[in-house]
Amino acid sequence: MDLISNLGHGFAVALTLDNLLACLIGTLLGTAIGVLPGVGPVATISLLLPITFGMQATTAIIMLAGIYYGAQYGGSTTSILMNLPGEVSSVITTLDGYQMARNGQAGPALAVAAIGSFIAGSLGTLLVAATGPILTAVALSFGPADYFSLMFLGLIVSAVLTEGSPIKSIAMVVAGVGLGLVGTDVQTGQQRFTFNIPELSDGIGFVPLAMGMFGIAEIVRNLENPEIRQTLGTKITRLYLNGAEWRRVAAPIARATALGSVVGILPGGGAALASMGAYTLERRISRNKAMFGKGAIEGVAAPESANNAAAQTSFIPLLTLGIPANAVMALMVGALIIQGIQPGPRMIETQPDLFWGLIASMWVGNLMLVVINLPLVGMWVRLLKVPYDLMYPAILIFCCIGVYSLNNNAFDVYATVVFGFLGYVFLKIGCPPAPMLIGFVLGPMMEEHLRRAMLLSRGDPMVFLERPISATLLGLALVAVLAMALPSIRRGKDQALAG
Amino acid sequence: MPVPGDFIAFAAAMLWLNQDHPIGTARRMGPGYMPMLTFWILGGLGLVIVLGGLFGGPAAIGRFAWRDLALILAAMVFFGAALERLGFYAAIAGTIVIAAIAERNFRPLRVAGLVAGLLLLCWAIFLWGLELRIPEFPWSR
Repeated sequence: MDLISNLGHGFAVALTLDNLLACLIGTLLGTAIGVLPGVGPVATISLLLPITFGMQATTAIIMLAGIYYGAQYGGSTTSILMNLPGEVSSVITTLDGYQMARNGQAGPALAVAAIGSFIAGSLGTLLVAATGPILTAVALSFGPADYFSLMFLGLIVSAVLTEGSPIKSIAMVVAGVGLGLVGTDVQTGQQRFTFNIPELSDGIGFVPLAMGMFGIAEIVRNLENPEIRQTLGTKITRLYLNGAEWRRVAAPIARATALGSVVGILPGGGAALASMGAYTLERRISRNKAMFGKGAIEGVAAPESANNAAAQTSFIPLLTLGIPANAVMALMVGALIIQGIQPGPRMIETQPDLFWGLIASMWVGNLMLVVINLPLVGMWVRLLKVPYDLMYPAILIFCCIGVYSLNNNAFDVYATVVFGFLGYVFLKIGCPPAPMLIGFVLGPMMEEHLRRAMLLSRGDPMVFLERPISATLLGLALVAVLAMALPSIRRGKDQALAG
Repeated sequence: MPVPGDFIAFAAAMLWLNQDHPIGTARRMGPGYMPMLTFWILGGLGLVIVLGGLFGGPAAIGRFAWRDLALILAAMVFFGAALERLGFYAAIAGTIVIAAIAERNFRPLRVAGLVAGLLLLCWAIFLWGLELRIPEFPWSR
């Protein structure tokens, strides 16, 4: 079968020394930042983008991907042991995970989080491998109008699914599209909004924007809200599940994997939404409803499986359509473009090493996470003892050096300062920065497809409604907007996202 | 202070700047077409947000940690300005000290130790490990 020979090729790529090392570094780093509250995958990946310059494209993407799913894994450890979620996607795990730890069941809680993550991650990876080629074939039949509508849908859904006011999120998306237009117009060579600054002729830098809005703004926010950290003084015993526990968690893991996989593919979906959804579902249908919130093992298994499944499947739109589903995937687009690879449906054909190697490495990485991390739980918890006043200057310095080394130009550092300021203000006035980043990445692509579509249709905008694919996608976007206008759905979403 | 009209102001400014760019026609779009669409939409959304704010009462805006923000950004500006003039080590040391003032409880000895440790770490990672071409001592040339 094709799939098997392709996966075989993928493993041959993933198991080379360089790529194994990249995978290991990525997953370990991901676990570390997952454990540390206030340092998320978006900030870390934007921090590391400059360093991936010198690497091979496949190696770079394998490492960055490892950070993302590694973070889903690391986030659960501190949620369970210290009631302190390292990542947004692990907030929900604190509910039952910490209760289990207080009941002296820290070991099984950690074990189920790890095992659930591994099972979900493996199945999610398989799903990426199986659907990738099919979706790619579909995507290749897309015309420019279809692409435009698909991106439009992606932008709308990602804005609508973000926490907070949907209208502000949509405004942020549009503002991001606008920022993406700065620079030289590809078709005419006209300079747009560059103020004759040579550094702006290639457009606003992706790394300064991402690093400023996520990295720098986060530092300031963490400085103003110091966290109180305390470790639960329990000893961790029995890092495995017994038969009764296996029977209790098997079905929740399966359901959460399915749910997480679907949510991961949605634009704007991703790990956080998946874990909330899976927990809510289990609490509603579980036979042990009464136990939820008091240390139900299902309440740990479900969200941790779902967030890992989503972390894998959110690669599907990126790898097949070239469209980022969330902020982390937007960074992956940036990483690919830095490497001179245009993400899109042709990637599977032109970059088979990258496509199949990445998929195989995800599975390898998930295995590494289980094998390496369970015995190292104690070490990760000790990482939290590093005080923030020693950590943030280090993060800041790495940001500065990383940004500078992009072009060996101080301009990028100043650009990061500007976006750091903006990012902090946005945080404060309740405008989520993630939609802006996605808009920024998709803006130039949308412009190109819009121009092509209109040229082909001789200036007739009806083309977007006449082509069935395009019309369907626009219809879905309309449904998404209308759904959010209904107060009951909006309340449900805010509840889920607020945890 | 950020006001809800910021989206409108931004859109208006960009539309004004966009006058320099040929719009073209719907069939052959010029470089100004997409910006025109984008910023008109943004302006419209900004208007909706402002109107919504009028009816929904003032939005709750949290307190701004201006001091922390200013110090962190100042540290970065210092880094940008100092790197090519004072060199790698001096820029790092200065940046850390400025950033460290943001911590309420500034302990000189602790910061000195942090500077020493990070200088070593940055040298090891960026100059020795990744071999980045960053001026170390530009003033000695």
